[in-house]
Amino acid sequence: MTALALKLNPSADLFQEDFAANSGDLPGAGLAWLDERREKAMDAYVMTGVPNRRVEAWKFTDLASELEDRLESTAAGSAPYIDEKVFGVAEGARVVLVNGILWDVTQAEGLEIVDLGKIDAKTPDWVCANLGLLASGPDQPMGAASLALMRSGVAVRVKASGVLNLDFVNPPLARDAVSHTRILIVVEQGASLKLLQSHSGAGTHQSFANIGIEFVLKAGAQLEHVVLQAEAATAIHVASIGAVVARDAQYRALYAATGARLSRLDVNIHLDGPGAHASINNVAVPGYGIADTTTVMDHAKPHTTSRQLFKSVVGGRGRSVSQGRVLVREGAVKSDSHQLFKALLMSPRAEADAKPELEIFADDVVCGHGTAIGALDEDALFYLRARGIPEAEARGLLVRAFLEDAISGIAGEAVHDALWRKLDVALAAFDGAET
Amino acid sequence: MSMLEIDDLHVVVDGKEILKGITLSIPAGEVHAVMGPNGSGKATLSYTLAGRAGYEVTRGRILYRGEDLTALKPEERAAKGMFLALQYPVEIPGVVTLNFLKTALNAQRRARGEPEVDALRTLKLVREKATALKIGEDMLKRPLNAGFSGGEKKRLEILQMALFEPKLAILDETDSGLDIDALKLVADGVNMLRAPDRAMLVITHYQRLLSHIVPDRVHVLAKGRIVKSGGADLALELEQRGYEQVAAA
Ligand SMILES: Nc1ncnc2c1ncn2[C@@H]1O[C@H](COP(=O)(O)OP(=O)(O)OP(=O)(O)O)[C@@H](O)[C@H]1O
Repeated sequence: MTALALKLNPSADLFQEDFAANSGDLPGAGLAWLDERREKAMDAYVMTGVPNRRVEAWKFTDLASELEDRLESTAAGSAPYIDEKVFGVAEGARVVLVNGILWDVTQAEGLEIVDLGKIDAKTPDWVCANLGLLASGPDQPMGAASLALMRSGVAVRVKASGVLNLDFVNPPLARDAVSHTRILIVVEQGASLKLLQSHSGAGTHQSFANIGIEFVLKAGAQLEHVVLQAEAATAIHVASIGAVVARDAQYRALYAATGARLSRLDVNIHLDGPGAHASINNVAVPGYGIADTTTVMDHAKPHTTSRQLFKSVVGGRGRSVSQGRVLVREGAVKSDSHQLFKALLMSPRAEADAKPELEIFADDVVCGHGTAIGALDEDALFYLRARGIPEAEARGLLVRAFLEDAISGIAGEAVHDALWRKLDVALAAFDGAET
Repeated sequence: MSMLEIDDLHVVVDGKEILKGITLSIPAGEVHAVMGPNGSGKATLSYTLAGRAGYEVTRGRILYRGEDLTALKPEERAAKGMFLALQYPVEIPGVVTLNFLKTALNAQRRARGEPEVDALRTLKLVREKATALKIGEDMLKRPLNAGFSGGEKKRLEILQMALFEPKLAILDETDSGLDIDALKLVADGVNMLRAPDRAMLVITHYQRLLSHIVPDRVHVLAKGRIVKSGGADLALELEQRGYEQVAAA
């Protein structure tokens, strides 16, 4: 395969080695359907290996050069953690993963939760029918690796309505380590789920969280998805999301990234029936590292709609990467998509890369996009200061105003305020950051 | 007492000298007008007085109530009682007008060592002033100046002036973009704020504002200099004869 030639040093591929040595001991090994999907995923992964800049979709984010050679797998219950309850939402079920390994489950009515670390022949049919079909192809190579090497995770099914708190907690590790975790969420016909997902961490070792997430939204289903990525400054975080949104179903997401040395959200949404809708608000505030959100919005059927808003505030030597590819397939008439990329650069070394991409193979569609990258508006800053508001406070006010429209209007006040608490901390750290 | 004393003020913007020696004195209780044609330096004068970055005073000085302003930041000048009503108030989507008013009021009070006022008290203060300017509660709940009409923006500027109770108010082309009714409303608002311990500098291109806000003195600005000063009737003369003739006389 030609793609193999892209790799710098294929023989040293950490994840291929891991698979070769350990695939027989992974959860569910021996289940024919799963073995087959894992092998297929490994083949997909091998096409690029850990992506470097020469892989087009990763040209702004060189994951390969950021990864250390030797990363061990994290072990179950390897460290104590602080239970932060990031969103302050008490209702609903709660799943806690510690260093990528399922630690604790609090069940709630209406949700069916399956431990993927203990997957076996008794695993329910709906898991076998769905697990590993999304976020596992060659277009999402790290997602493929997360399936091939899955050590833990959960599958969740919603039949009516529910709330799920999904907290990834990463306490300090004793050595550099990697975890491969999978999440599968199936929202049945007409059902709805509010998914509140957080990532928090501490420590000085390199921890690489590699997460693959699958959303199956049946007809008329609704998923409200909030992600707060507040990993430690040494962490590497890659989450590959694959979603299929059926007729009249809706996926509404707010992704916020405040931490990690490198984070990449690799999102692939398949709008698969008339009336299917996806909206994504992405908020990134890198003050030192790279915060990358790359989406593919696949309008596969007629009358599908999508809205994407990317907002970054970049400080220090931080960099934000926002890429949005919108694909309108043949026959997907009356598709309606819009994406807007906005970034504020708060220091001379800060950088923002924004790349909208349109591929349209159908007539009678509306596809809009806009990009605006710049410094804080000096006129606005002067206006506020001339009214007595000190410079630092005025800057803060303008930055808040800039981000607010991407943060409001989803998941209620508690979540809104929780997000702002984390964002405020990250933004306040800008001033101390090296410029 | 002189509220504002400008003495041989030279200002350079982007390496170009725009103000070339302005001398002007406004006693407390008086309203002075500065009139000038396009490009004469009116905006430069108001930005310089408010302390905007990039407006470099290369010679002369500005005394506000006897204190040299040159080294003070815009926010420090505001806290000391200076107010600049802008020609183009800035739209800031995402900041609710009422919250902005409260933040600004309290920032000024904090800087002066005065106790802050809470949201309820701010609302009460604002309401009192807003009614006269026909500013409804709905406008206060909207984002600051965002989508406001020209007249609404100017009325909000005057509302702020009333709320902050400055000692020196500079009104930069407050008449621009106003229809007759709005002009009257704004002028009435300004006139209500005339007081023995307050001075105002009204900067304008046209005479029409000055038939509503009758100034004590009128100064004619041309090419960065005050070329003529006189009483309120100088404004009428300018309107009739044009800047060039009056400046040449
Ligand atoms: N940054 C700058 N660099 C160079 N020249 C400038 C700069 N800013 C202003 N000027 C010039 O200075 C002069 C005065 O400008 P200013 O805006 O103060 O005039 P004004 O009297 O307010 O004009 P108007 O009535 O048209 O608003 C103009 O000739 C303008 O082109």
